[in-house]
Order: sequence, then C-alpha cells, then structure tokens
Amino acid sequence: MKYCLFFFGAFILFSCNKDNVHYDPRPYALEIPSHFPQMVMPIDNPLTDEGVELGRYLFYEKKLSGDNTMSCATCHSPQNSFSDSNKFSVGIDGIQGTRQSMALINLGWDDYFFWDGRASSLENQILGPIPNPIEMHQSWKDAVSKLSADMTYRNRFFRAFGTSNIDSTQVAKAIAQFLRTMVSSNSKYDVMYKYINGQSLSSNESQILATVDAEEWAGYDLFKSLNGADCFHCHNGPLMRVKKFSNNGLDAVITDLGRGGVTGNSNDIGKFKVPTLRNIALTGPYMHDGRFASLDEVIEQYSTGVHPSLTIDPLIEYANQGGVQLDAQEKLLLKKFLMTLTDLEFVNNPKFKDPN
Amino acid sequence: MRNSINFFLFCLVSFLFFSCKDKPVPPVDKDYVDITVQPIYNGQNLLMDSIYVTQEGYKIKITDLKFYVTSLQNGGTNLSQASLFDYRETGTTLLHQEADYLKFGSLQGILGVDTTLNHDDPSAFPTASPLNISNAGTMHWGWNPGYIFISIEGKADTLFDGIDNLDHNFSFHIGTDLYLQSLSFSSISWQQISAHQHTFALKLDVYNIFCNPIQAIDLRLEYLAHSSGSQAALTQKFGHNFKSSLTPY
Repeated sequence: MKYCLFFFGAFILFSCNKDNVHYDPRPYALEIPSHFPQMVMPIDNPLTDEGVELGRYLFYEKKLSGDNTMSCATCHSPQNSFSDSNKFSVGIDGIQGTRQSMALINLGWDDYFFWDGRASSLENQILGPIPNPIEMHQSWKDAVSKLSADMTYRNRFFRAFGTSNIDSTQVAKAIAQFLRTMVSSNSKYDVMYKYINGQSLSSNESQILATVDAEEWAGYDLFKSLNGADCFHCHNGPLMRVKKFSNNGLDAVITDLGRGGVTGNSNDIGKFKVPTLRNIALTGPYMHDGRFASLDEVIEQYSTGVHPSLTIDPLIEYANQGGVQLDAQEKLLLKKFLMTLTDLEFVNNPKFKDPN
Repeated sequence: MRNSINFFLFCLVSFLFFSCKDKPVPPVDKDYVDITVQPIYNGQNLLMDSIYVTQEGYKIKITDLKFYVTSLQNGGTNLSQASLFDYRETGTTLLHQEADYLKFGSLQGILGVDTTLNHDDPSAFPTASPLNISNAGTMHWGWNPGYIFISIEGKADTLFDGIDNLDHNFSFHIGTDLYLQSLSFSSISWQQISAHQHTFALKLDVYNIFCNPIQAIDLRLEYLAHSSGSQAALTQKFGHNFKSSLTPY
C-alpha cells in the first residue's frame, strides 16, 4: 500500500512538470567587428542563446504595457533603425513624452543611457519605461504576473535563468542581452573607416569601397575638417560618437536641464548624451526634443543656428558666429557623407525582427 | 574486534583526506606605485568649472583637462605603456600600477602618445588600455589619425564690460607626432602611503600655462589650437608651456 502511494505521488509530481525544460544555457557567440573595440559584458549578465532569444521576445511583447498595446518596439521601431519617427513618443494613455526616443544601436558600448544619462547600465535603463505613467504604464508586479501566467514564458525564463519565478531583473537582463547583440557595422562608412585606418578589407568590402564616390569622400573630409563642418569632435571612430554630454548650442535660453537635472550641477545644464550618427538618415526627427525633421535642418543648425550659452560645449568652436557657415555645396557634400552611415543590413537583420 | 578495525580504517581515511588538503598559502602583498598630478592655479588646487583670473584680467574656467603620458620607464625598465590623466573623470590619478618603486628612482617618458602607438588601430588595444577607443573617447582624432596628446578646454570672458558671461570658448588640442615631447624626472622622492604603496606627486601649474613669464597665451586672441599647420606657433607655445608647468610637487 505504501509503495502504491509513493508511486502515485511521484507520478502526480512529475506529470505536473511543465515541459521537459532544462537549464543549460549556451554562451552566445557575439561577433565583434574587427574595427570595433571589445564589448565589456556585465559579469552578472553574460550573453546566452537562451537569454538573447528571450530578450527578443520580450522586446516585442505588448503584455509589458498596461493595456497590452505597446512593446519596446513601438517607440523603437525596426523601420526607423529602432527609433521613433514621431517627435515625441505617445504612451498608452495618450500622453506625450518630452524627449525623442533614442535609436537603439550598438548600445553594448555605452556607459549611460537616456538623453540625460540617468541610467548607468542597460539593465537599469530597461527598468524605466514599463512603470513610467507616460509610457507603458504598468507596474512591474503586473507585468511579471502577466508573463508568469504564460507557460511559454515560464519555460523561456527557466531556460535562460534557471528559474520560472520571473522578476523584473530577469526581464531587464534578457532585453539587455538582446540589445547587446544589435550591432551595426555594415555601412559604407565602415568600409571607409577601415580603409582610412589601414585595415584589411574583404573582397566584398573592396567592392563597396569602389562605390564610394568623390562627393562622399569630400563630405567625409568636411566632416573631419576643423575649418569645415567640424563634426568629428563629438562624432568619430567606428561608433560614430564620443562618450560625453554636450550642449550643442540649440538654445540661448535653456528650458530642459538635461544632464544638469540628473547631476544638479549648473555646469551640466542643457547638456545631453552625444548620440551615434549611425543610421542617422533613418532616425529622424533629430535632437533630444526632435525639433528637426530632416538632416537638412540639422546641418543648417550647425551651420548658422548655434546659440552661445553658459554651458555650450567649447568644441562648438564657431558658436560666436552662429556656426560653421557652410555654403550650399558643402551642405550637400556633408549630407552625402551622412548617408554613408546607413546600415540596411542592421535594420533588416532577421535576428532583430519580431519573432512572432 | 570488528569495531576496532572499522574505527582504525575510519581514522586512516580521515588522516589521508585531511593530510592531502592544500596548506593555506599566505597572501603575497603586491607593491604598487601611484603617480598623481594636482592641477593648481595661483598656488591653489584648481577646481573644474570654477572661475579664475589670468594676468590680463580675463575670467576663465577650465571645463576639460586631459593628457597622455606613454612609454614610462627607467633606463629600459618599463613602468607603463600608456596613462591617461582626466581631471574631471578620474581626479588626480595619472597612474596606478603594480611595480616596485625602488626600480624607478628616475623616470623617462613621452608627453603624448609615442609614435609607435599613435597610429595603431584604436580599437585593437586591450579593453583596459587608456588607448582603447572606448577609453580614449574625445582624445582620439579620426582625421589625424592618432591621439590628442593634451586637451584643455574652457570658457573665458575677455571683455571688460562687467558682465561675467564667459561665453568665449577656448580649446587647445595638441597632437600629431611633430608635437611629442619627452619627459624626464630624476632623483624621484617616492612617498610611502601604505606598506605596499608609494606615490610620486606632480603638480600642473595651469596659471603658468596661460600666464607663462616667457611666452604667455592671450586668450582673447589665442584661443584655438588643433596642431594644424596654420596653428603651429600657438601649438608649440602651448605644448612647451604645458610641459614646463608639469613638475614634481
């Protein structure tokens, strides 16, 4: 009788086990482009196949919003190189934000996130938008509850983290893993950069190099020229940005404190994170407040629209004359160069698309 | 009898088990050397973003102060391949390195990035290297190509109109192989700050950079240098003033 009860209990116990799910995460083989620096991974969140896959599902998961209508991809759309074509994103309650959604490109090399850099890790950044009342407006408790009610997600979390007791930290870690795999390195500019820096080119890259025309090279020269467009001070290297916060002279009177609102330091007022210029042609509107709809407007701003202020970046060297004063031909060349930063392989990469 | 044999076997196994355990190795304390640089202005510690006055009466504030020192060694004994001083981000530390200070009674090095390193792929340096582009940040020039050796940026008010708007930017970026300078410190007096840590303290007299008694820099007229040909004279002057202002504290 005792044996019978034991076997019956064991049968009940094991028959209730969800699936035959194992926790045996495999390291994700992230290929770092040869002209990029190594990516520093957080020790507590290494990339795994299972974590990246889960993160991809979560990135496109609308259950993370209060009314199941918004996912991360709503404001970071693949068609816009993972940014928002709207000046300001609108949350589930119809409330508009106050800053433009940043493009999600090569985030694995960044040290701070949001325009004002208030998040010091990708994981921390991801914790923000879900409970934010003007964005996805859902408590983490409810978000986790919805995910936990879904056996497929429980299994995915178990495979990724060895537990199906889902929490916000694991959600953030998984999405962060996915975002770290989103590497853009296949634009025409990448070939130009490698060529300029004496790096070997594949036959395919050599063919691309041959297509770079004189106007694109001239635009690149202008981009780098101290007496030309002088863009390179803040946008250079393979990542096409430097790590800093800068007031780029948008306004004489500053209304958005930017970094100053985070640090409380008056010297940081009006400074914002320098964004990458990768895929810049696809990520408009531009600036932290999306005030410019087109690249032409951006170029005009730096050419004639710069406003000196107390915290303007000293690297905006021609601020006192309103900007770098490009003529019409120079503006055209500069724009042609900026178009070389477009990486359609990145935008169309099936690994980054909605898995559903 | 049987219990005695079992007890004996138990003791034997326990002995073998514990006798095979690794003996604890006492930790070996490593020796470290630090090199610090304290920027000063008119004898006071310089504070970023604070307002100071030049000999001409201009009000200025420094917003960025960085420089590279590479190939630090003493007669062939290497101390460090590269160090980046970044006053805003890392304070007064130029170098923190495992080394025996006794081997470095003198130091020779390069103010800037040695020619042998200056043109290498900035992404290829080890992740922890200050030359890696992730760490170099604004200190790498895409167009040179190479590094900015010395960067001082700030704002000045060169108009005596009673309005402290400090809206006149200045920016000195010294780079390119032509402007490398050697550094040499002899008879170094290392200060012991703990049992295994010694420090060599330097100071950088920022006042002396701009108000040098031999060749002062007038920020009203001389506010921009990127080491290009047309700025050669100012680049050279600034570089020399900087080097002469970096002395043992």
